[in-house]
Amino acid sequence: MTDPILEVRGLSTHFFTDDGEVKAVRGVSFGVEPGETLGIVGESGCGKSVTAMSILGLVQRPGKVVAGEIMFKGSDLLKLTKEELRNIRGRDIAMIFQDPLSSLNPVLRVGYQIDEAMYAHDKIPRDQVERRGIDLLKQVRVSDAERRINDFPHQFSGGMRQRAMIAMGLSNKPDLLIADEPTTALDVTVQAQILELLRDLNEQTGAAIILITHNLGVVAGLCKRVLVMYAGEIVEEGTAEQIFERPQHPYTWSLLRSVPRIDANRGHRLLSIEGLPPDLIDLPQGCKFNPRCPFRVERCFKESPPIEQVAPAQHAACWVTMERAYAEMGAGTITDTSPGAASGVHPDGRRALPAAEVPAAVAEAGQ
Amino acid sequence: MLTRGTLIYIAQRLALIVFTLIAVSFLVFITVHSLPGSAFESERVHGKALQLVLHQYGLDRPILVQYWSFLTSAIHGNLGVSFQIRGLPITPLVMRELSVSAELGGTALLITIGIGTTFGVLAAMRQNSWVDYTLTSIAVVGYSVPSFVLAGLGVLIFSYWLPNVTNGVISYPAIWTGTYGTLVELSLPAVILGFYTSGQVTRITRAAMLEVLQQDYIRTARAKGLKSRVVTVRHALRNALIPVISILGPLVISIITGSVIIENIFGIPGLGKEFVESILGADYNVTVAVFTVYALLIGIANLVVDLLYTVVDPRIRY
Amino acid sequence: MAISTPVLEEYAGGTVAREQVGLWRDGFRRLRRNRLALAALVYLTILFVVAIVALFWTPYNPAAILPNTLTFLGPSAAHPLGTDDLGRDLLSRMMQGAQISLIVGVGTSAIVLTVGVVVGLIAGYFRGWIDNVISVFINIFYGIPGILVAIILYLVLGRGLGNIMIAISATAWMDMARLVRGQAFSIREREYIEAARASGARSGKILFGHILPNSLGPIIVQATFVIPIAILTEAFLSYLGLGIPSPLASWGSIASEGYAALPLEPYMMLWPAVALSLTLLAFNFLGDGLRDAFDPRQRL
Repeated sequence: MTDPILEVRGLSTHFFTDDGEVKAVRGVSFGVEPGETLGIVGESGCGKSVTAMSILGLVQRPGKVVAGEIMFKGSDLLKLTKEELRNIRGRDIAMIFQDPLSSLNPVLRVGYQIDEAMYAHDKIPRDQVERRGIDLLKQVRVSDAERRINDFPHQFSGGMRQRAMIAMGLSNKPDLLIADEPTTALDVTVQAQILELLRDLNEQTGAAIILITHNLGVVAGLCKRVLVMYAGEIVEEGTAEQIFERPQHPYTWSLLRSVPRIDANRGHRLLSIEGLPPDLIDLPQGCKFNPRCPFRVERCFKESPPIEQVAPAQHAACWVTMERAYAEMGAGTITDTSPGAASGVHPDGRRALPAAEVPAAVAEAGQ
Repeated sequence: MLTRGTLIYIAQRLALIVFTLIAVSFLVFITVHSLPGSAFESERVHGKALQLVLHQYGLDRPILVQYWSFLTSAIHGNLGVSFQIRGLPITPLVMRELSVSAELGGTALLITIGIGTTFGVLAAMRQNSWVDYTLTSIAVVGYSVPSFVLAGLGVLIFSYWLPNVTNGVISYPAIWTGTYGTLVELSLPAVILGFYTSGQVTRITRAAMLEVLQQDYIRTARAKGLKSRVVTVRHALRNALIPVISILGPLVISIITGSVIIENIFGIPGLGKEFVESILGADYNVTVAVFTVYALLIGIANLVVDLLYTVVDPRIRY
Repeated sequence: MAISTPVLEEYAGGTVAREQVGLWRDGFRRLRRNRLALAALVYLTILFVVAIVALFWTPYNPAAILPNTLTFLGPSAAHPLGTDDLGRDLLSRMMQGAQISLIVGVGTSAIVLTVGVVVGLIAGYFRGWIDNVISVFINIFYGIPGILVAIILYLVLGRGLGNIMIAISATAWMDMARLVRGQAFSIREREYIEAARASGARSGKILFGHILPNSLGPIIVQATFVIPIAILTEAFLSYLGLGIPSPLASWGSIASEGYAALPLEPYMMLWPAVALSLTLLAFNFLGDGLRDAFDPRQRL
């Protein structure tokens, strides 16, 4: 195992709003090895984007990193001066964003916006910048790059804009590229092209990639290792194979059950996760997933499960874990994912009525 | 930059301006000629002699015929002759006054945009701080204090309280005595004129900056590691200027309105002073001429503003 | 989602009305929290009281050249604000000026409101050639400085309080008409107008029963902003000697006389300057407050 280039330890980022303190990221720890492709998945609002923004020091008021360290090449990014951090942004760690139309400045030429990233850091010799700008556009497969480099963003298609964003991200040969939902705003065919491009670039340039997405399919296509986030915490971590084949956290399991699969048999119902993610101002006690978990036990309401090794290279934060759930509850064929359905544990500790008899109440509670 | 489409657009707009000028000048011509009295009645001209004078100036013809002859000669650049100063051709008179007004108004416009955008950007960068509150308050005060109040204050300070400091260079007696059109003499009136409208620019710039600073491309620019000054000026301000440009048209109108007052207060011999004097002296031809020149100025200003959009915002093409 | 019976009943009954009530309540709550707007309201209330008192009583006759009084008398117990170049009591003249300013401001706003709303509703509701004619007219005159038109019209109409209001309204109504026209255009498309039309409501009822109440917020805001513009224009005209005929006192004409007397008597200009500035400031703050409270989309 090589030394990680990025190591996040106990990162917490909160937003101080008028309604209260939104604890968007709470005690997140993970590492990224050189050249690695790491996926961070979770529903919107689970803190995955805020984690990325925290790494680059881009969290805006009223948000603030309240705890943790972010070690990058031997120094803590949270302790750097503004100028030192600026010098790392876009040079050693680059980031690309979800919506390539709104993420490019509409009044500046695409080429200018790419070159500007290089001029800002003086890593690429000044006389090579323009040449490299065109080469980068070619590298991200924009055809007719010599001419298109002088276009404005609105003259590009959605896929081309995202390619230009990637070119901009790669311009200073970063060690780490953070891609926040890079394909979400794009057509399915274009999504596949962009993912393929990212995979190729990872191989060619050796830059590590953190891919942030809510789409498990996107992660499966690119990442070797996956973090699953829920309500501001990492609930499961493992290789892509482990996460997809043997998920151990009920949330990961539920997420996978909710992805439509073309190879599923007809009788297999597509199951959504009942309920909504918790209010990040007023979090539930114990495990944060307990209000929605089909396998919860009484302990889940009292104590927060720590993240522990469940298999080689696989960690999960759960008192039950899917392995035990399958074994003890005979839940391998569960078709009802409503809260407490498999274990029948009511939030008050009482055994709830069988789910079939209280559909309206469950549905209401979940709304 | 000048594509065929743009040229066609400019041609259409110019045609519209001409149409507007005809409509406006017609209505003003009719209205002004219905004013009681004329420039000649004040003089001791009666009966036959008056008829003779009226005939000499073509004022005994039907009003539509008079307008037609005004229009045809106006097309050739001849705006007719003054009644008050018998027979003085109006075109060179108006041109000279236009140059004075343009210098005053142009300086004021620069001051307005300079103060307004600076204040607006500063207020937006420090949103909800004392800087923000101070600057936005100055903006509201700016367009709430009438310009003649500021003029009075300025004259009091520079002419009566501090004549030694200004060394008489900036000296404004109640009646203008100096030569006109030098920048030093115009500085106080231009600052007062510009300060009034700068409040609107401050508010628009602030709102636009706040909006732009929330945009995704600002986040991208910061993620690239650009210096914050570069992000503000090159990425934010350029986009924030687009809504600012949209009020340039109304701004020119405000400055023209203000200049009518300012020129009369300071006795600056520009179009605004001429307009008031001509209407008080029933010098109809001059009134119509000045009004038409104003309408032309505004039409051109609006056209320039619309063309400026294409410079600042590449998404707009005509 | 299927439309269930309660929703349909709401259409017939008055969701619209209830929505409106909520909007107004929210608006007033926002307005109450706006200290500047409240301070402006307090100041303007006092000013209104002064103007009403001036109808019945002023310390001296504002037009009378007082016997045995010196001109340019500084503030004293007998003349709290001093006397002017002709020896007239400045407090009395300022009180009369307040009256003139408020009459012109509110009166002009009322004219603009009536004409602008009616023309705007007609253009926005009926569209077609009526709208075209109105729009072409507005587009031609839109942008001509109001003060030029006001000067000409005022002299044509003849001097007087009513005519000065008409002269200022001559251009000011266009902004209002544009606003109302735009509102009518957008509101016309909304479904409750469809519902009202489907249930056989007549156009008059739709215009004044639905479109008008729903665009009331922006209209009130615009009408509030007309007041300071009218007061300022009147002051300008009076300052230029083209305003209210003397011996009636207007803040503009007092300021004009004060300007001429500046080296002799600085505070003859001070009173109208302060009064005008505060009043315009108050109306602008009030307008801003109303806009923030009742027309949140327009917030600057």
